[in-house]
Amino acid sequence: MKYMILTYASQRDYDAMAGKAVDTEWTGEDFAAMHAFMTKFNQDLEEAGELVETRALDAPVHTRRVGGTPGLVTDGPYAETQEVLAGYWIVECESFDRATQLAMRLGECPAPAGAAATAYADVRPIVESSADLGF
Amino acid sequence: MDTAVEDLLRRLAPQVLGAVVRRYGHFDTAEDAVQEALLAAATQWPSGGVPDAPLGWLVTVASRRLTDLLRADQARRRREETAWRWSFDVPAVSGTDDSLILLFLCCHPALRADAQVALTLRAVGGLTTREVARAFLVSEETMTRRITRAKQRIRASGQPFGLPPPASRQDRLAAVLHVLYLIFNEGYATTSGPSLHRADLSTEAIRLTRMVHRLLPDDSEVAGLLALMLLTDARRPARAAADGALVPMAEQDRSLWNAAFIEEGIALVTAALPRGATGPFQLQAAIAALHDEAPSAAATDWPQIVALYSLLLRLAPNPMTALNHAVAVAMASGPSAGLALLSDVSELSGDHRFHAVRGHLLEMSGDGAAAREAYLHAAGLAGSLPQQRYLRERAARLVSDPRA
Repeated sequence: MKYMILTYASQRDYDAMAGKAVDTEWTGEDFAAMHAFMTKFNQDLEEAGELVETRALDAPVHTRRVGGTPGLVTDGPYAETQEVLAGYWIVECESFDRATQLAMRLGECPAPAGAAATAYADVRPIVESSADLGF
Repeated sequence: MDTAVEDLLRRLAPQVLGAVVRRYGHFDTAEDAVQEALLAAATQWPSGGVPDAPLGWLVTVASRRLTDLLRADQARRRREETAWRWSFDVPAVSGTDDSLILLFLCCHPALRADAQVALTLRAVGGLTTREVARAFLVSEETMTRRITRAKQRIRASGQPFGLPPPASRQDRLAAVLHVLYLIFNEGYATTSGPSLHRADLSTEAIRLTRMVHRLLPDDSEVAGLLALMLLTDARRPARAAADGALVPMAEQDRSLWNAAFIEEGIALVTAALPRGATGPFQLQAAIAALHDEAPSAAATDWPQIVALYSLLLRLAPNPMTALNHAVAVAMASGPSAGLALLSDVSELSGDHRFHAVRGHLLEMSGDGAAAREAYLHAAGLAGSLPQQRYLRERAARLVSDPRA
């Protein structure tokens, strides 16, 4: 079964990770530690045969929103503290619980105290076919 | 700055901008971001060394700058101002060089010619605003405003990043070529100020036209324009005397002409002429080639030049062409035939070139007094100092000449 693990961040979080002065500081070491953790995390998933794919999304400021009035396009509609999808993993594993367990490991990711306290991930089952819905 | 680094940056500039605009949009802000990346490279590379992947370095730095600039923008602007109506078909951009797309954008019909020229030099040529301002003898502040307004207008036009639709492509290309021609001319025939040549602009125009020719090798008018520039610029070394005075073509030391440019220009126009419809740039290049091939003014094939100007007048009627046609007719058939044609170009009577030509033709016909008057009148209308000095000297020569 496939699940999606979603992580969220605001533009402010992106700025902090980019080393810009905001209330949460990311030092060079913080950043390197996070990078090493993520590399290892992805490697483990891959070796276990559980990784389908993973991607990070660019900063929210690079967003175009379409919809509402037909033909209307809006640039970067997010307020800077609003959290939006920042990255995702699609994992293939035996159960929701296993997927949740994988996602919980993300909580061990090194980060400055402020960022770690508010970070979270969602795990959601992927709808694959009518069989998955019980038909 | 280090010339090798500068050349590299100028060559990469449109590629960086193209890559950033493809990925993120925001042509106007992206253009600023790329300028900042180029500036960073210009300060870091000469001492720190050129990175292994200079294009990637520039794209990365420019993308980061773009993110910052957009963040600052968003903080200032209200949300509704960042919404726009998406009313165009998304053009295919694969297989097209970004530099060409950028040229079309910069020469957008919503812009005035001076804005098209300035934006082209900055966004495609990779010149800084200061350099563009210096080339056009305006303040950096004025040029910044001109470029900013131009970019806002392009943004407002909703122009997508891509080639114009096929139906308007030829007209839009003609606008691009016109802008390149204006840049060249501004460098070659300086319209104001103390220096006769702003050689950098001519060189830049040739560089950009070479690029367009490389991208559109089958377009005869692009080849014609490049040939025209080379064949005209070839005479540059002989065009000014040591004291900066203007030397007319008839009196130039032809051994100073740039033989390599002449050879290349003639080859280009020879290859282009039999291919498809003949456009105005090809005809002008063919005329320039006849001048460049002639061992002297007297030994020039004037009847052939008259024929080419007649064709050009039919194809693209223009008072300057009519004036040049009159000169060629005078050289081929005598001054009175040329003078008779001048009455057809009376709309140029406020232009120094009209009176300078009239002076020459009157001088040829032996009417020294009228010639002198025409030269002095022309000098009063001429913008550049070397041109004024040249015309006054012609007038003075007629006074000391006993025949006058």
